[in-house]
Amino acid sequence: MSKPPEKGNVVSRLYQWVKDGLERTVYMGVQYTYPKRFVSPLGYLGVLTGITFLVLGITGGFLMFYYQPTLAGCGSLTCAFASIERINNTVPFGWLLRNIHYTASNAMVLLAVLHMYYQYFSGRFKIKNEVLWVTGVILGIITGVEAFSGYDLLFNQRAGLAIEIGSSLANASPLIGGTLRLSLFGAGFTDFVLRLYAVHVFILPMIMIILVFVHFPRYLVFDLPVISTVVGGLFLVAAIFPVAVGIGYSPSNPQLTIPEWYLTGIYALLRTEFDKFVMGGLMPALLFLMAIVVPFVDTSKKLNWKDRPFFTALGITTIAQILITTGWGFYINPNTSLPTLSRLYVDPALYFSSMLGVTVLSFAFTYAFLRYLKAKERVRRAVAPMSPLLTKKWVFIVFLMLVGAQLALNFFAWTAALTNLNAMTLFDVGAILITFGVIMHLYRYSQSLPF
Amino acid sequence: MVEDSKETQPSQQNPSEAEKKPAAPAVPPARPPVAPQGATPPRPATPPPRPPAPAQAPSPVASPQQKPTGRRTFLKALVAISGVLTIIPFVPWGQFLLSSVSSHGALQRQKIVLDLNTTTNNNANGAVAGKTVNVNDLTSFPPNSTWLVTYPTSGDINVDSQSPDTFQKFGLIRLPTELGGSNKDASAFVAYSKVCVHLWCSPNYDPQKSSNPTNETYQCPCHGSIYQLPTEDSKGNLIDAGKAIKGPASLQAPPTNAIPMLTLTADSNGDLWIEIPQWDPDHNGVIGYGRNYASYQDYILPIAQGKAKAPGEP
Repeated sequence: MSKPPEKGNVVSRLYQWVKDGLERTVYMGVQYTYPKRFVSPLGYLGVLTGITFLVLGITGGFLMFYYQPTLAGCGSLTCAFASIERINNTVPFGWLLRNIHYTASNAMVLLAVLHMYYQYFSGRFKIKNEVLWVTGVILGIITGVEAFSGYDLLFNQRAGLAIEIGSSLANASPLIGGTLRLSLFGAGFTDFVLRLYAVHVFILPMIMIILVFVHFPRYLVFDLPVISTVVGGLFLVAAIFPVAVGIGYSPSNPQLTIPEWYLTGIYALLRTEFDKFVMGGLMPALLFLMAIVVPFVDTSKKLNWKDRPFFTALGITTIAQILITTGWGFYINPNTSLPTLSRLYVDPALYFSSMLGVTVLSFAFTYAFLRYLKAKERVRRAVAPMSPLLTKKWVFIVFLMLVGAQLALNFFAWTAALTNLNAMTLFDVGAILITFGVIMHLYRYSQSLPF
Repeated sequence: MVEDSKETQPSQQNPSEAEKKPAAPAVPPARPPVAPQGATPPRPATPPPRPPAPAQAPSPVASPQQKPTGRRTFLKALVAISGVLTIIPFVPWGQFLLSSVSSHGALQRQKIVLDLNTTTNNNANGAVAGKTVNVNDLTSFPPNSTWLVTYPTSGDINVDSQSPDTFQKFGLIRLPTELGGSNKDASAFVAYSKVCVHLWCSPNYDPQKSSNPTNETYQCPCHGSIYQLPTEDSKGNLIDAGKAIKGPASLQAPPTNAIPMLTLTADSNGDLWIEIPQWDPDHNGVIGYGRNYASYQDYILPIAQGKAKAPGEP
């Protein structure tokens, strides 16, 4: 045990003492950097993904207090759905936590995908980062499965469809299909809920936490202003676009629904009505396999995307193909006189020709664009010195204004909570978090000013 | 006008360059492996000096260290206030923790409907399963009998009857005749929780042994705790219903030595109702925990006799 340091006040000495005590733990193995000025969040999208994971863990843990992973025994035969309705409508602040959890899950999938593409195009997956890249791809797949198992737990119409597709996909695997389905999903609706619950709240998060220790680089950027702003933005989106609980699932009355946006791609593949396993299993697996082997194929020492035209074009192609496939997934034949199955049918000829077309277009576009860039190659424009945006007097004024705004927002959030205006409360709290982010950034900025 | 160009041009930087830069000064210099006398090596109060600013931006002002005035402290205080203001709105969110799974929204008055698998006995008519209880009907609901009821109900008698949640089950007992069981009002009934306050087993009423009110009555099969029916005091008033008189539950300190009860009333037709319970030791008790046994004569019995009103009673 280390001696308490002599310098500074009690708080800083305590902080220093605890920090020294953590010297030998895994937490000090990672070097956190609090940048002294604004840096582009593109470089630390992974940290932001981790922060949304944290938000999901906190909100999800609280949601577990009231969620009931069962179908019978609580007063209605879709107990799971009823418990979510109760969280949404009755439990104080349940609406807020559920909407934050939902929005954060979407944000995590989105941030993970953006993170992957930034790393891909900037070439950082190369040169000693191969293991990080591969674990990242695996983490991305697990994130998708985690999101899938999460929205199944609602047991509304959309969840019913997802469970149906998921279990029939497992069933369609050659040789082990039946065993796989039984072991993953169990034998009935109650088994579905319970197993998906165990997978969602424990098994997958545990695997993710273990993998994250492999995936984290030694240096992490921990930028409080941006993190606070991102979390606040999450709250704002959740407040502006709240998600309805939907209609409870009833096997006798299935409705036409579309899966979540990150799964509509697979939905489109299945709707071509070719072999289920090939379309829903092997085709997505091809994409993931491609992602995994990329660092072992693209072994050149060139990092910049402009110097790797083929792999840049390949990346653009995957983006375009995912967009096209997702678009097909959202498409339902508007002719309501047709039977449901015919409305859902995706014509494979149209589908595959659109995929091929977009591949050719992507490659052509990328090569043409790179040629254009080369022709227009210029000397990098010297950056003209800028005057400070704010003088010290204005720093004080803006600071006071922002703290005043926070005070007012606190009042608004409080009154909104009193009157059960859930979305308003969430919006105000999100705005408070964003204001805090701006204040922290302004404080950082003021450190460079003379006082 | 130009004061410090270095800090104010972040957006023009190449992102990959920009984010590598701040990492560099934050990495502390390598420490000596063993600090002398275990003392912590002194840390620089400020980060190591940055590389000099570009030549085109000479900084005409003094360095920050020269004048550490109260202004910086003021700014720090503002940041601290802002941090507190950011945390405060989350405090009311703690209300999320105060709801309860077993209460489906607000509790409500409920007309008694017997469970389909209600336990019948020699004195009771087995045909009453699923029926409402009427205090005037001494044939179907004779004195010294017991039935099973669910509160709060799911609204579906089939679901109620299949629910294994004993925290929502109550033993409805029509008292023996000598205790007023043939009275045609709600005071002829008591409704005891099916959760023993000792270790949460499920006690049962045994009418065979109730001819003497101090005899074994509402008994827990696990460890033999026995809860009495109301007894008569010297003036002939009924008191102390549900108090444990034998077994481990009787040895627990008040208020954990009496079984929680429901408040019952009868409407003008004689149909029996459960009034909205107040789950605290001085009223209906806390299920699985206990009740002050005097709350029977102080709170529950006056309402059953129509001398007082329960909250929400019309």
